Amino acid sequence: MTIHRIWNLIARKLTGEASVEELQELDRHTEEDSKLQLDIDIIQALWESRPDEAEERDYLEATYILHLDRMQKLGIEPHNPDESESIKSEPGKPGLRKRIWLVSGMAGMLALTLGLWFFIQRDQPSPTNALANTNMPEQFELTTRKGVKSKFMLPDGSQVWLNAGSKLTYGRNFGKENREVVLTGEGFFDVQKNIEKPFIITTSSVQIKVLCTAFNVKAYPEDGNTETSLIRGSIELTIKNRPNDKIILSPNEKIIVENSASAPFEKTRTDAKKPVALTANTLISIKKLKINPLDSSVLETQWVENKLVFRDESFREIALRMERWYDVQIDIQDPTLEDERLSGIFTSETVTEALDALKESMSTPFRFNQADRKINIYR
Amino acid sequence: MVHERLLLNKEKAYQKIRDLQRRIAVYEDESAYKELFFQFFNTLTRFSTGIVHSGETAEEIVSDVFIQLWKDRTKLEQIQDLQLYLFIAVKNNSLRASRQQQKKGTLSVEEMQVELESTYLDPAQKIMSAEALQSIHTAINNLPPRAKLIFKLAKEDKMRYKDIANLLDISVKTVDNQLSIAIRKIAVAIGSVVRKKS
Repeated sequence: MTIHRIWNLIARKLTGEASVEELQELDRHTEEDSKLQLDIDIIQALWESRPDEAEERDYLEATYILHLDRMQKLGIEPHNPDESESIKSEPGKPGLRKRIWLVSGMAGMLALTLGLWFFIQRDQPSPTNALANTNMPEQFELTTRKGVKSKFMLPDGSQVWLNAGSKLTYGRNFGKENREVVLTGEGFFDVQKNIEKPFIITTSSVQIKVLCTAFNVKAYPEDGNTETSLIRGSIELTIKNRPNDKIILSPNEKIIVENSASAPFEKTRTDAKKPVALTANTLISIKKLKINPLDSSVLETQWVENKLVFRDESFREIALRMERWYDVQIDIQDPTLEDERLSGIFTSETVTEALDALKESMSTPFRFNQADRKINIYR
Repeated sequence: MVHERLLLNKEKAYQKIRDLQRRIAVYEDESAYKELFFQFFNTLTRFSTGIVHSGETAEEIVSDVFIQLWKDRTKLEQIQDLQLYLFIAVKNNSLRASRQQQKKGTLSVEEMQVELESTYLDPAQKIMSAEALQSIHTAINNLPPRAKLIFKLAKEDKMRYKDIANLLDISVKTVDNQLSIAIRKIAVAIGSVVRKKS
């Protein structure tokens, strides 16, 4: 019996190639040598280890969509009525790998990136209410405290759901002379049709003009950017200080504007074929909405249904959202934790339960303590 | 008993694929097609990357093979071993692609530099420390190309010796030997980290 024979037998055992006699032979060796048995146990555990399937699945979902896309171009798409509409990507875009990378890198499975990132020169700082100070001598103010969400009916019949810690103001003439509101925070709007008076929403960094539509605007001052997600209809968006540049958004798209965007557009969405690095660093991107494949609900508006949903977001972003959701203050004491990306849904969980759940899914576990409404997170 | 379970699992996996083949061939079942794609896309892409040395090209090759599979779906049931069939198709297309590009693609499977899937053994299982695990993974990744390729096909794709031999145009004896070498190197790595500790 040579040493080599033992490895040979182990290999055959693991692969199922060993005969009954060979298995017995290996058993005799391990009875004599307990260290050998330990080695075999470890090798077996390694042999049976499998990759993280959830992680693989996201990547495969995205890959499969692109695969179907290639098939469709050849006119041989297998039938798939429910998915193909919402996630069709534009023809003639970069190769399979590049697009997959964008998909998996940015948002996980269904957030197909349409327009690519392009960069716009950052201008001098400007007053945050540059667009906001329209003529509103007598103002009405709708507010929600942290931890609270509310639905309001506006005088023109439009409905607005305000997420926690948000404020919507409008003037006395709202619905009569104009339909203009100013939003801080996050709101979901279902706007009544009125062709004469477009509904205009102003935030610190963008202005959105709509006729009749349903859409979500997320414009918390403490977030790095403003997100506008369109569910149906169409809207026209202008970025602060650039009234001449209009971006038309189509249903199931969202536009993300970095909160200090102000320089003129150098590129429009349609001709932005690849990332264009201009002189500085204000980012704008247009993406597909994240649609839950199970019930085709849109993740961006789940908060309306009292769900805190995040998909592939950094712990830092999630902590910010939890602060508003639960009306707490969360301090992440260890910066190494901040960039970990997570996905999840919270509905009825308390903040402690939510943190316990997050703790479990982080690759580097953390500890936290809570004093009153203040929560500290440590490694 | 472990052995019997292993063989039973292999048989089950084989029957599952046969079942998918039938659903695609007879019912044009798209969900079966998707399942097949999910099961094989990543592993075939890693295999192809070993030949064409480009993840992007490899993904296109594998995607093309799956497109062809759908086109020929009516004949799908005639394929006895679909896994082997897919690997051979990907191998042939990858070799053709690297010849056409006349780049430094690997023309012989002997030189294939294949990447292994990233697995995660939970250190909480207390088998060993994370550091020990790391150095064992390093040992596996540093296996000679041919041993590593055979290790991948046997471990990840659960291929039988004769199928590996068939795919790589080598003898069953070589497969047996190369895998023994791989196991020995891993055992040596385990020995050095585990023994050192205790």
